Amino acid sequence: MSSRTVWRSFQTQARRRLVVPETPYRCFSCTRRAQDSPKSNDQNRMTHFGFQNVPESQKESLVGAVFSSVASSYDVMNDMMSLGIHRLWKDHFVRSLNPGSALPSREHDTAGRGWNILDIAGGTGDIAFRMLDHATNINHDNQTRVTIADINPEMLAEGQKRSVQTPYYNTDRLSFMQGNAQHMPSIPDNSVDLYTVVFGIRNFTDKQAALNEAFRVLKPGGVFACMEFSKVNNPLLNTAYKQWSFSAIPMIGQLVAGDRDSYQYLVESIEKFPSQEEFRGMIQKAGFMIPGRGYEDLTGGIAAIHKGIKPLSSA
Amino acid sequence: MTRSQSLLTLSRRYLTTAARPTTTTAAAGTAPSKLASHFPTHPQPRLQHLRHHCPYTSRTTRPTIRTYHSAHHPAPLHEYSNSQTTILSASLRHVPTHGFSRDALTLGARDAGFLDVSVQLFPRGEFDLILFWLASRRGLLRSRVENDALLQAQDGGAPLSVDEKIKVLIMERLRMNEEVRDKWQDALAVMSLGENVPLSLSELHSLLDDILTLAGDVSVDASWYSKRFALAAVYTSSEFVMTRDSSANLRDTEEFLTRRLADSKAIGEKITGVRQCLGFMGSTAVGLGRSWGLKI
Repeated sequence: MSSRTVWRSFQTQARRRLVVPETPYRCFSCTRRAQDSPKSNDQNRMTHFGFQNVPESQKESLVGAVFSSVASSYDVMNDMMSLGIHRLWKDHFVRSLNPGSALPSREHDTAGRGWNILDIAGGTGDIAFRMLDHATNINHDNQTRVTIADINPEMLAEGQKRSVQTPYYNTDRLSFMQGNAQHMPSIPDNSVDLYTVVFGIRNFTDKQAALNEAFRVLKPGGVFACMEFSKVNNPLLNTAYKQWSFSAIPMIGQLVAGDRDSYQYLVESIEKFPSQEEFRGMIQKAGFMIPGRGYEDLTGGIAAIHKGIKPLSSA
Repeated sequence: MTRSQSLLTLSRRYLTTAARPTTTTAAAGTAPSKLASHFPTHPQPRLQHLRHHCPYTSRTTRPTIRTYHSAHHPAPLHEYSNSQTTILSASLRHVPTHGFSRDALTLGARDAGFLDVSVQLFPRGEFDLILFWLASRRGLLRSRVENDALLQAQDGGAPLSVDEKIKVLIMERLRMNEEVRDKWQDALAVMSLGENVPLSLSELHSLLDDILTLAGDVSVDASWYSKRFALAAVYTSSEFVMTRDSSANLRDTEEFLTRRLADSKAIGEKITGVRQCLGFMGSTAVGLGRSWGLKI
């Protein structure tokens, strides 16, 4: 209930922002759709942008504005909002996926060695660099390559800037691509070993379309892995968490990044994201097999890792 | 499943419930000693049918675990999906060289036409492979008894007693580990990790349950527990001996097992003797007291 009052107090601001859509930006991780003009039949369909309902055609540009503004202060803000825990989550995520082939590949395999990884909404390269490090240092695999795709050019620019510091700069192991996760015609069918989206799918306009697209580009046997904010199951922890996210985070955003609205959107979009079970259902609906329970809660369910495996066509 | 198995049913039980003999007749006839012969590599119609009803994946759609046994409603085979069974069966072929490791799983996945990354199907990693080994060997043991007449008296001799049957069954089970003997210590280490202990114990209990049931043990009182505890001690210690046993056909292990079974029998007899002795002394004391006029 308290969150409701907080929300109301910011509603007026949010409405004003709609009228002048080019307010600053926000982010946690990012992904936005391209700036292409909306199709006419999309005009009337509504989707949510935080707690507001906006036409589907507008969400993309709204979310784009959020992430363009936060690109530069991305790391500082993530550290402050999650108390540094987001780094542990990301490390765990990459470790559990264990990217890279430790074993020599079969001789008759002509499809190239190493894994072909597609990191969606990975503009700043957080996950991509971790995966390349893991493949190189843990599995001694110098073939695995990552394509970072993001809808937001500013976030991609941030990632490109950071990649200069890594050993993968200017090699064929790391590439950048601007694109909309719901429609990626430049990526052929059955071409990707591992598809990751970390703290990004929440912002997609049509999540199911993105899942279907992931299913298309993955090779049979390939893995869809997603880390996203989720629902906290423990009521006590949930109360504290909601207090933190609806009171503290927008304030930190205002103080540190000078941008309250972006971080208000962030917490609202987290609230709107489906629960672990619902999202697992969506992954299944796209055709994936679910291993075990299908998701793993982190820090009591604040975030959750979802996985799905594309079946072999014969199975 | 058997009547006694339904007791102490654990919630994760059916993950490790091995296939019933009906699914194994085809495979068992061809090469019973070959690794991975128990679970067919190619999905059978029956498996597909089953998967349709109980996908491994979702907890919500899992069939209710029943506490009764019915021949008309057999318990679910296992919780593995076709893909998982295929990969695990293929992985078992790599166990003698690579051990119960992620490497074996990865190679198995490649053999089955999957990618390296597909081992994400197994959230528990190598422990899933170990559980699969345990469950499938347990199913194989059962099918040896039910289809291959393992426990039939030889050459028209007297039928085996329950104790003899238990020994035959344990040795048969240990011989199945012969192929992976060098790797089994590593597997035991993985099984003893804190997070894996509950499932390991549950699988051990299922195995002992099967052994006692197949041997024809029908105890229903407190000895139900004591027999399983005693057998657990005997089986696990013999398993350790087996990992270091280099003799032909596990002869040393067999001798060790014989001694342990004799020990446990002797202990049982001593406990019975002590109990009887205490009973006599007690009743003597009561009788003595009464003869002195105490109102006991």
